[in-house]
Order: sequence, then structure tokens, then C-alpha cells
Amino acid sequence: MATPETKKPLPMGVGSIGAGWLAFMGIAVVGIIFGLVGVLVEQQQGMVSTGMRNLGTMQGATWGVYISLVVYFVGVSFAGITVAALIRLFNLDYLKGVARMAEVMTVVALVLGAAAIIVDLGQPLRGIVNLFRYARPQSPFFGTFALVISGYLYASLVYLYVTSRPDAAVLTEYRSKLRGFFRFWAAGYVDTPDQRERDRRTTFWLALAILPLLVVAHSSLGFVFGLQVGRPGWFGTLQAPAFVVLAGVSGIGHLLVMAAIIRKVLNAEERVGKRAFAWLGRFMMVLLFVYLYFIVVEILTTMYQPSIAEQELSEALLTGRYAWLFWGSSAALVIPLIGLGWMAVTRTWRVSWLVVAGIVVNVGALGKRLLIVVPSQTDGQLLPYGTGTYFPTWVELSVAVGLFSLGAALVAIFMKVFPIIELEESPEREEVSV
Amino acid sequence: MTRYAMAVDLSRCQGCRACVEACKIENNTPSAVFWMYVFRLEQGEYPNTDISFLPRPCQHCENPPCVKVCPVGARFKRDDGLVLTDYERCIGCRYCEVACPYGVNFFNWRHPDEAFADYQVAFDDPDLEPITGGAIPAYKNPDHDELQGEEQRLTAGSSHFKGVMEKCTFCVQRVDKGRVPACVETCPVGALQFGDIEDSESPISQFVSTKKQFKLLEELGTDPSVIYVGGTPPTHEAREIERPLTGVSHGNA
Repeated sequence: MATPETKKPLPMGVGSIGAGWLAFMGIAVVGIIFGLVGVLVEQQQGMVSTGMRNLGTMQGATWGVYISLVVYFVGVSFAGITVAALIRLFNLDYLKGVARMAEVMTVVALVLGAAAIIVDLGQPLRGIVNLFRYARPQSPFFGTFALVISGYLYASLVYLYVTSRPDAAVLTEYRSKLRGFFRFWAAGYVDTPDQRERDRRTTFWLALAILPLLVVAHSSLGFVFGLQVGRPGWFGTLQAPAFVVLAGVSGIGHLLVMAAIIRKVLNAEERVGKRAFAWLGRFMMVLLFVYLYFIVVEILTTMYQPSIAEQELSEALLTGRYAWLFWGSSAALVIPLIGLGWMAVTRTWRVSWLVVAGIVVNVGALGKRLLIVVPSQTDGQLLPYGTGTYFPTWVELSVAVGLFSLGAALVAIFMKVFPIIELEESPEREEVSV
Repeated sequence: MTRYAMAVDLSRCQGCRACVEACKIENNTPSAVFWMYVFRLEQGEYPNTDISFLPRPCQHCENPPCVKVCPVGARFKRDDGLVLTDYERCIGCRYCEVACPYGVNFFNWRHPDEAFADYQVAFDDPDLEPITGGAIPAYKNPDHDELQGEEQRLTAGSSHFKGVMEKCTFCVQRVDKGRVPACVETCPVGALQFGDIEDSESPISQFVSTKKQFKLLEELGTDPSVIYVGGTPPTHEAREIERPLTGVSHGNA
């Protein structure tokens, strides 16, 4: 293709490393090192270094922060493919500015989810092999490991790749150190009408195919708990749909925060417009409504005529030891919902408030994940064991910090090697390709 | 078909915990780990209290939730009804533990050989010799390291590995040699019986046939192989008294 070589710097800050980025990465690397120390201590001493202990006679909780993080991170991954599919299905072109960052977020969140699973295993190396070698679809964990981590992550990577090739083709026209890398990335794509049409169809069907995979994957995490009769508060048909919906809330909330930061950093206020924020805000509001409805239904169901174990658990949650966490995280979901409702009624979508709402609902979502995992293990035992306790140690918390830092670093690195906002098709390119 | 079962006669149990001790010795379990456990339960208000005991081995369910949820098939049920853990396959995800309503699973939170005397007996520990004075050499039952059953998997007793789940095996290494579990053998009052419940002529079938029986948490559909006679299921008013150390502290020792 006879396009002139551009000497301008690469768009969207790709390839240019500034002081701000270095400072950000510096903080992230410190966080990652902190997490690695935690992992090493855990490997050295065994999981005795965590706050987890056996159920029953040891009066502990055998699942804690790690499993909550698995559920949370996989939940965050919800946004990417959903947004991408909605753009394709409903022609929501003004969301295009957040599409790629949402896809990157999906991939990063799934990687973090996988990492959180690995640190939770007593035998991590064995786990990596045996989970595939002896995989049993009968176990709800099969959904978590195989469907989410391999299927969903793989499909998302393919989707991210296919949708990014046109931009890679554009970037090869810039004279930069990364040119060979972009050529490799574009893999022969030069944006002919044929290729463009084929990619359009591929991404459309891929988005359609990933949507059910997304529902299955998030449901399977709900099934991890919802199929168990041995613990009070877990067994129930609402678990799977509630997981999908809360996944949506945390994922969209995360995307709102990320989009606001990225558009500020890249001065891309026009590409990521207010309409995109307003749309995401509305979507999050609807999901929050549905989730709160689920919570109310669940509380009513368990409170009306509970078994003794369920009653003990409800008391611990509503008025007992976990009440601060229960009401705190409920407030962290309800208050943003009120704010979003207000913004929807008055039609004034303020980006800053949406960011606050995004952060707060994620805190609430993390709290909810902990509440699903931990209290059912410590309270309402079916045999007369004593009430258990669980409190995470610094090892678990440092691993959590490390995981979040790793995620931030991965996104920051991606931003420097590839435009995290889709490039606009310049009019002259249209001419060339038509 | 053989289906191994254990019968527990609550009217005979006096709470001596000889079974707990026998289990710990046979299987060399780490501290705060009770494959066999005896609840001491109290009901009512002083002075009108009612004390009862409830031995709790693994229930070796016919429909075990732990086997269903294991993502790698390390927890499995043998044809003879024994629910066992393959210590070489377990990845330590602890899903079996949260799935089990009976709380019988114990995870190796750290390397079991560490911190002798605080944790479990390490047979090659040089510190062991002065204690026994060389007179009684530490003896490790070689059966524990053998692969068990038709499946030929490492499922027996005292080979504890860091980061791996374990629980009562019904002493598979003894059962496979035609013996009864250590707890059953030790019980001084014959409160524990073991055998093939499918065989109507077997001593255990005879033992339970005329008595009123119950199984723990039967309503969950797990169909345990541990049959309780001579008593009633624990009610929810029952408080556990005389608890062991929780083991929460053993980590910091």
C-alpha cells in the first residue's frame, strides 16, 4: 500500500514514556514486590502463614480472601466482552472509545483471577498440571478453571487481537522503534475492504459466541457456592444469576474509573465522550437495581421460616459479628444507586460522580464476595461445632495488594505498546481503502 | 457387593477418647487434627443438664459431596464404600472441606514434619531418640507408604504432605488386610463396630439390626456409612463442652 511514512509521534501516547508513567509504574512495582514477598512467605511456611484454618474442630474458615478475590476478579472481567458485544449488536458507536480498554480490562482481570486461584492452592504447581490432566466437569470448579480461565480468557484474547489489527496496520506507517512489533501484530492486515468486511463479520459472531460463554462462566462461579447443601446460606438458585449481575456491577464500575483516568491521561475527552459515561452509568444503575432486588429476595427467603443453621447465619450477618460488613457493603451499593438514579432523572451525568460511584460499588462488591465466602464457614454449623473466626494475615493482604498492582501495571504497559483507545479512521485512509 | 460401615453405639460410649488417641497414633496425625473426634455435648441448664458423647469419624457417604466437587478426582469413593484422598493428586483447593457438612477434612497448613512435638512425629527426627532412650525405636508402619486397593493409589494414613487435604480413611491400610480400623479395635466398651453392612450375616449387621438407628444429617441426602444406635441425633440446643485446642494457635507456635 502506497501510504507515506508518517514522522509524527505514535498516537495515544504509545511509545512515549513520561515521568508520570514512570512514577505510576514505580508504585505498581513496589506493590508487586510486596505481593511476591507474601507469595514467597506462603511457599516457605505453608498456608499456615495465612489466616485460614480448618472448619469444625479448628474453628476457622478454610476459604478466605483469596477465593473472594478470585470471584471478584472474574466478576470484573464481565465488562469487556459485554461492552464489545453491545457495540456490535446495538450499533452503539459512541461506546467505541471505551471498547478496547474494556477488553484489556477483561483479559487483565482474568489473568489476576487465575493468579488468585494459584496462590490459594496448597500445591500450586500440581494444580496447574492436574487441573487439566484430571479435569472433572462434575466439579463446579471446572467452570472456574477450565471455562473461565482457559475458554473465556482465550476467547477474549482472540477478540482483543482481531479488533486491534486495523490499528496495528495503521501504526506500521509510523516510523518508530515499535514498527516491527506492529507489523508482527498486524500479521498481514493492510485494511483492504475485503479484510475489513471479514473482520467485521468475525468480531460480530465472536462477540455473539462469547456472550453465552460469559454467562456460563460467571454462573459457574455462583455454582461453586450455590450447589452446596453442606453450608448454610450457600444452596440456592439465585446464586448463579446474582453472581452474573454483581459481576456486571463491579465490571462496569471498574470500567468507569479506568475510562475516566485514561481519557484524562491521554487528553482524549472527545474520543471517550460523556455519552459513553452516561450509557455506562445507566447500565450500572440497572444492574445495581437487579442485584439489590436479588438481595432483598434472598433475605426475605432466609428470614421467613429459616432452619436453625440459616437463622444463626442470618443473625450473624444482619445483627451479629458480620453486620458491619453486611450493612457497610450494602450501603456501598445502595448509595451509588441513589446517586445514579438522581443523575438519570435529572439527566446530568457528571464524570467525577460516576468515578466515585464506580469505586464505591467495587468496595461494596468486594465486601459482598467476602460475605458469601466466609460467614457460611464460621457460623451456622450443622454439627455442634463452635463458632469459627477468620481474619486475614498480612500475607493474604500483601498478595491482594500485589494482584491489584500487577493489574494496574499490565494495563499501563499495554498503554505504552498499543493504543488503548481505538484509533479513528482518518478520511484519507478511507480513500485509500475504498 | 461389599459396603464397609461403622456402627456407633451411643449408649455404650463413655467419652474416654481412646478411639481419638488410637487414631492419632495409627495415622500419626498432626496436632489439632482429629480424623476421629468425640464431641462432648451438654443440653439444658444447670443443674438439669444432660451430657452425651458423639464420636465423629468421616461418614464415608454413599453420596459424598466432597467427591462430587473435587476438581481433579483426588477425593474418590471405592467400590467398597471407602471415601479416600489420593495424596499424590490433591492440589489443595479445599473445596471438599467446604462441601462437607460434617467438618471431617483437615488440611496440612504447613509441612507436617516441622516443629516436632508441636505438630506430629517425624520418624527420622534425631530429637526423637533421647525421648525413647533408644529402647523403643520409633516405628513407622510400612503399610502407610504402600499404594492401596485396586486403584493402587496412595491413600493410607501417615504420609502427610504440605498443602494436601486429608481425613479419616477408615484405616484403609488395616481394612485391606482384613482388620478393623484402629478406633474400633481400641474401644474398650465395644461402642464401635465395623464390617460389611451389605452382608446380613456380618457382626455389624447383627449389631444394628434390632436397634433403632440414625445417621448424621440424613436430610442432606449424603447417605453416610456411619450408623448411630442407642441414642438420638444431636439437637441444636446441644453445646459442645470440653473442646480441644482450636489449632488456631498452632500456626504461630
